[in-house]
Amino acid sequence: MSASTGTLPKPADSADAQRRPRITTNRQRVTWVTAAMLVVLVVGIGWSLSIGSSHIDLTQLPSAIFRARTTDELIVQSIRLPRVVLALCVGAALAVAGALMQAVAANPLAAPEIMGVNAGAVLVVVLAVTVVPSLSGAPTILLAFGGAAAAGVSVMLLAGSGRGRVSPVRLALAGVTASSLLISLTQVLIIFDENSTDSVLFWLVGGVNYAGWHDVRILLPWLVLGLVGAFAMARPLNLLALGDDMARGLGQNVERTRLLGSALVIVLCGAAVSVAGPVAFIGLIVPHIVRRLVGSSYVVLLPLCALGGGALVLYADIVSRYVKPPFEVPAGVVTALIGAPIFVYLARRQKVTS
Amino acid sequence: MTSTIVAQNIRRTSLARRHPAILMGSLGVLALVLSFYGLSVGATEVSLGDVLRALVGDTSTQASQIVIDFQLPRVLLCWLVGTALAVSGAVMQGVIRNPLAAPDIIGVTKGSGFAGMLLLLAIPGLPVVAVVPAAFVGGLVAAGIVYLCAYRGGASPIRIALVGIAVSAAFEAGIRFLLVRNPLDVSAALIWLTGSLFGRSMTSVLEILPWVLVLVPLIIVWARKLDVLGLGDDLAAGLGEPVERTRRMLLFFAVVLAASAVAVSGTIGFVGLIAPHMARRVFGGKHFASIPAAALFGVLLMLIADMLGRGLAPPLEIPAGLVTAVVGGPYFLYLLVKTGK
Repeated sequence: MSASTGTLPKPADSADAQRRPRITTNRQRVTWVTAAMLVVLVVGIGWSLSIGSSHIDLTQLPSAIFRARTTDELIVQSIRLPRVVLALCVGAALAVAGALMQAVAANPLAAPEIMGVNAGAVLVVVLAVTVVPSLSGAPTILLAFGGAAAAGVSVMLLAGSGRGRVSPVRLALAGVTASSLLISLTQVLIIFDENSTDSVLFWLVGGVNYAGWHDVRILLPWLVLGLVGAFAMARPLNLLALGDDMARGLGQNVERTRLLGSALVIVLCGAAVSVAGPVAFIGLIVPHIVRRLVGSSYVVLLPLCALGGGALVLYADIVSRYVKPPFEVPAGVVTALIGAPIFVYLARRQKVTS
Repeated sequence: MTSTIVAQNIRRTSLARRHPAILMGSLGVLALVLSFYGLSVGATEVSLGDVLRALVGDTSTQASQIVIDFQLPRVLLCWLVGTALAVSGAVMQGVIRNPLAAPDIIGVTKGSGFAGMLLLLAIPGLPVVAVVPAAFVGGLVAAGIVYLCAYRGGASPIRIALVGIAVSAAFEAGIRFLLVRNPLDVSAALIWLTGSLFGRSMTSVLEILPWVLVLVPLIIVWARKLDVLGLGDDLAAGLGEPVERTRRMLLFFAVVLAASAVAVSGTIGFVGLIAPHMARRVFGGKHFASIPAAALFGVLLMLIADMLGRGLAPPLEIPAGLVTAVVGGPYFLYLLVKTGK
């Protein structure tokens, strides 16, 4: 022991440096991750535009984006491009909503699909579609907001998040049970209304298969509102992560941050669900993966979540076209199958469960 | 000081706690009366006299034929499915040590649903009865996956719950995929998924009966082990209980019960969740009393749900699973609020 005193300080120092909590994330790392994600996105966009029941050459793509003279160019512009854009938008909305929710609930398992937000939006939208079939477009999105808000708020309140931190398991069980109630009500609506079953069922899985510019136009304003709001809230959210008391001591209005964050979650989820259906697990897994890569500062986490979520839905959509052509599997099935193992991995880590 | 404590204790020990047998007996009688009445409810009105005549063995009239062929299997299934789900839920809540746990948590429901749907949709026109073995196996497989994924030097209850949610979600995705692939047969499949006792015959009764007859008494005998597990892993191990093995056995029993129930009736929600709660509220936390009580509450819930499903808007049948969800959902939310404080 005494012999090692001379050599002790050095390794102790470096170990200490490694263990020091990283508050601002490594700039270089963020740059690399961002660059990698952008590359993945661009490749995905090109891939997604060129495959399908008619294969379109990559060299035709640049021109096809701007004009529509040949059939191929028309296909790209009216069918594939809106699909790609919608996939990116929906992924970004759901992933950012998930990150926001984890911050607001101070709970690693909080996510729109776990907390019943998506199921609430689905129930109200299906109710509207089956009871008033002519209804579509803008009013639906408002209904989805209502459903998402009611479901999410009630799960949060019921799981007791008004009284400090809730255990992740309690929140997850409460949310899952509430979701299952909402889902079974939705199923009943579908059973009793056989006419609209087909379209509703497809939408229910979540996917961007039949996307058009119309859907993008509905989603875009809400997405911009939600994303800008979320990015603007990054710093308050960082403070919130320190714990309520600390955040309050640093001059934060904790309740207002929570309220604003929840409102943004509802806007993002409601909008995404109303156009693309409940695409599963995006809001849960993307924030966890991105946090793994760049640390937990929301300043970089939120934008990268937007990129990552977009990429995930885009690739899920691409995979969905390869599974059993020419039939297209909805992207929601693919994301659920990717997401479930990652959720299992999260659950197996002690951090979440203890 | 002491006198007030004693007084409180006396006030708190209700009739149910002091004489559980009396209350349980009256619950049983209530269930029997309800079953008798349930035999007469349906699309065709059957008088109570006809029901009585049919039960005695006189099957000469058309009415009593209906009672024997259509109504009796349903009522028997209500008893069996209700018992299986409620006991399974009580065991699950004891083992997971969380009052929000339910048989669905460990993936049984969704696994059975997926396997059943696979068969229903892959071979259209198949009688519902043929689905039972497939759904049973599917439920067991799903629960096995959950247990294996949650196993990490012992399967902690929390991990089981979380992994169960994930695996259920994956199977749910599979179910939805099947629904989208085969939009034409969706209605029948959806009704089965929601849980209904429509069109079941004595075959279904025989398919679930052995499991309930064997496993429920076994679980009641093992009730003390559940009490011990409820003390926490460390204390239970200190008391000489082989924690992991007991947990595995109990979970296995619960899963088999739930899988057999789902296989014959589809996914009937919330019975496994709320019946144990009702039992605990009335009979206290000791599993030896609360498990049989949970079974009775489960039977009552099923009888009422099925009767409402048949009687509310005849000849239209509302799936019993919907009724239990609509009744059970709010009760569950109330529980959530109450246990949150």
